[in-house]
Amino acid sequence: MKVAWHGVLLPPLLISAGILLASQYVFIKGSFFADLGVGRLGSELTLENYQRIFSDEFYVRSLWLTVKLSAITTALTLMLGFPAAYLIARMRSHWGTTLLALIIAASFVTIVIKVLGLNIIFATNGPLNQTLLKLGLVSEPLTILGKAGGVTVGLMHFTLAFFVILLYSVILTIPRSLEEAAQSLGASRWRMHWRVTLPLALPGIVASCLIVFNLCMGAFTSAALIGAGKVLTLPVLIQRTVILDTRYGMGAALAGVLLLSGLFLNLFSLHAVRRLKAARGLTA
Amino acid sequence: MIAFTEKRVNRILAWIWMFCFLAFLLGPLVVVAGASFGENPRGLLLFPPAVLTTRWYAGIEAGYWAALLASVLLASASVLFSVLLGVPAALGLVRTDLVGKPLLAAALRAPVQIPAVVAGVAFLQFYYVLGDALGWYGGGTWTGLLIAHVFIGTPYVVGSVTAVVQRFNVRLEEAALSLGASRWSTFRRVTLPVILPGVYSGATYAFLVSFSDLPIALFLSSSEVRTFPVVLFQAMDYDFDPSLLAVSTIIIALSFVAMLVLQKAIGLGSLLRTGK
Repeated sequence: MKVAWHGVLLPPLLISAGILLASQYVFIKGSFFADLGVGRLGSELTLENYQRIFSDEFYVRSLWLTVKLSAITTALTLMLGFPAAYLIARMRSHWGTTLLALIIAASFVTIVIKVLGLNIIFATNGPLNQTLLKLGLVSEPLTILGKAGGVTVGLMHFTLAFFVILLYSVILTIPRSLEEAAQSLGASRWRMHWRVTLPLALPGIVASCLIVFNLCMGAFTSAALIGAGKVLTLPVLIQRTVILDTRYGMGAALAGVLLLSGLFLNLFSLHAVRRLKAARGLTA
Repeated sequence: MIAFTEKRVNRILAWIWMFCFLAFLLGPLVVVAGASFGENPRGLLLFPPAVLTTRWYAGIEAGYWAALLASVLLASASVLFSVLLGVPAALGLVRTDLVGKPLLAAALRAPVQIPAVVAGVAFLQFYYVLGDALGWYGGGTWTGLLIAHVFIGTPYVVGSVTAVVQRFNVRLEEAALSLGASRWSTFRRVTLPVILPGVYSGATYAFLVSFSDLPIALFLSSSEVRTFPVVLFQAMDYDFDPSLLAVSTIIIALSFVAMLVLQKAIGLGSLLRTGK
């Protein structure tokens, strides 16, 4: 069929790319102007905002906190999510489909509602503290809201369902026959996982973990609502700087740093996954 | 006597792990649903509820219904435009012989890589500049929010449809054309039915990113333009009304119904191929 496919591609591509470039250009340009207060920007180009982000301890601490919480969340999501994804992918009964459907449905619900549930669970007189008190594990109710630990659980809820869905697809691509072969040749279950399943799944695991880490770096809702203004990650700081302080220049510079760290991580992850696949002799 | 073979122990451990995982994943949703039936005084949320009541469902303010309806309409409009942009983009992208295809694909996928907070800041400032130039200020308007949501939704449609089109046999279209079908009827009767699962799955994700979005809507909202996530966020930040638990429970229930409908209509497999 002779159709000029570029004619079909170009209109939507130009609209998408136009909005992408125009909006990104405007805010990145804004980040090079000093704030004069009440939302007004200076008239001279300056690196002042970026210099402050990397020298002022307040911003450096926020950047470090964001990276740290994202790394911890990714590790915990992997530990909780990988066995679940593996078990579901290897189930032979209809339970596999049912569990997968439950996880997909959970991923449909907005994080704002999940955080609402977490706020109830973590409240000073909430079910978690009541249970801990009754069991005598703590003598006084724990304060979880407004703490980094609570935010970490919130971030896990932001990424967990999505992570399991990603890994489920990865594990389905590993033929079950390879695992059965390893076992019939006398490998124990642990040895089979260590020598067969894990190496084959590794590129997919690394890629999924990097996606989760990236999602956490940009996650706003969990940190804002569970952190209650006390856990200032970069996304929370951006929203406060722009909406509450109306310092658009500084807000744009912080957003620029967040965007750049994400782009850098994406390039790194592409490279890492390609190397892993090449090392295992798989086609990229 | 039950024999504790290694296989049986492994199976029991596996189910214990699954149970803990599901309890963690679904816990907050169960708690929201449970608390929505509780006789709790304003502001103090207790779970499990001591006395069951449906008063929070009866007391849902008109404003909350309006915000929920607005969110549904916004997400639906966002799906419509995302599909109108994304389907031709995906078809063209797979079949064009333009140079630099990977770069064009990356440009179409880029919005997914931008954190929502960054997109919110960018659109807010973009609309200020656009307003100064054209006299149309997009911040705080439904159109402005819709454009931003179409922007983040389109890549999902492109991704899902691309995945399907790549497996599509062009000979089917050639056969239809050589048998005398017009180009439009070839598209409608041959191409469309094949790519439809991809369109549905992309549309589902485009709907979800719009319906769930908080960060972008926070930057672009105003007193007239407030989606349900924004209303819920502001209530949790300031003064909480328990009937919001009731609305949230309705959304949770609808999410599970939507999943069942999609499972029947296109199957779970199509939903997994997000092409992200």
